[in-house]
Amino acid sequence: MKPPRLSHSAALILKALSLGYCFGFDIMEATGLPSGTVYPALRRLERDELVVSRWESEADAAAAQRPARRYHEITHSGKAAILAATERYPLLARLLPEKHV
Amino acid sequence: MIPALPSPLTRADRLLLAATRWLVPIPEREDWLRSWQAELWHRSYQRIPRPAPALVLGVIQDALWLRTETVSRALTGTPSLCILLLLSLLLLATIPAIIAAGSLHAFTVIALANLPRIAAEASLIAFVSLATAVTSFEENLSSPHRLRIKARLFLTAKMVLILLLSWMLTSDFTWPIRPFLPFTALVLQSLSFVLLSLLGLRWSSLDTALRCQHCLCSLASPARVGRPSWNFLEFNGTELVCKHGHGHLSIPEIETSWHQSSVWVPTS
Repeated sequence: MKPPRLSHSAALILKALSLGYCFGFDIMEATGLPSGTVYPALRRLERDELVVSRWESEADAAAAQRPARRYHEITHSGKAAILAATERYPLLARLLPEKHV
Repeated sequence: MIPALPSPLTRADRLLLAATRWLVPIPEREDWLRSWQAELWHRSYQRIPRPAPALVLGVIQDALWLRTETVSRALTGTPSLCILLLLSLLLLATIPAIIAAGSLHAFTVIALANLPRIAAEASLIAFVSLATAVTSFEENLSSPHRLRIKARLFLTAKMVLILLLSWMLTSDFTWPIRPFLPFTALVLQSLSFVLLSLLGLRWSSLDTALRCQHCLCSLASPARVGRPSWNFLEFNGTELVCKHGHGHLSIPEIETSWHQSSVWVPTS
């Protein structure tokens, strides 16, 4: 199936996810996009099955002494979509640094 | 469940979440609240400088997105949305006619004076349209009488609205030339009314044929079945399914003795 065409901001968010940024504020900080763009875009990407989300386990969150976060992960379709988007927006690959854990 | 940690959220954040949560649909509210509590907690903990209005906008836009998505999912393809859209278009088309007439009263007088002509033309067009409808589908006779009446009422409502809309649009279109060339305007309106109505009614019958016979929602996910080269050996055509699982519609690519028209197959 042909990967869906993404807007520049959606492609940027997907790229951030593929580089290891995995929750809302993390993506906002990496991309510089406003929260009003990032959160609805994440929901749209999840609806289109390019992204899946899961809740961090309570045990892990309690160990880090913070509330559990909602982590987003890129799916196989998402990876195909980001490859197509990188061809469309060649600068995308240079806009974001890889996340250092 | 919200973790039992001391909430470092500011009073403004808590107020914002409490005020915005009502925008979120109930089934998704707890999840949404939990996500935003975690996100805002993270911001407060990390002391990330973010302008407050940008975050307010984010919380509200996220909640609004969930609301609009739920409404859109619930309404897309429903007969109510179809009737609502046609009614809205009719209202929009009526506004220029009222402005041109000068007042609502003047418009009503003109409309009532034209009513017999409109009714005669519309009946004729509806008759021709129904008699020449290409699309036919075998009505599921085993379906309850109530459902068949509902389907016919929906089709009738659509046809009436399309006829009224066509008349209003053609009236708006010919209004500027009416004071100078009244006869030409009348002929032009009648001809364009016939053309527009026939196109609209044809769409209406096609649209009805491609709806679920149970809930009248538009059928989705078209899938090609069979091979064109095997036309005389097996079914070759398209299948559409009801997104609520009431059944599917088989539309043959070409008519065969065993599959002459579209067949609605209900889910038993």
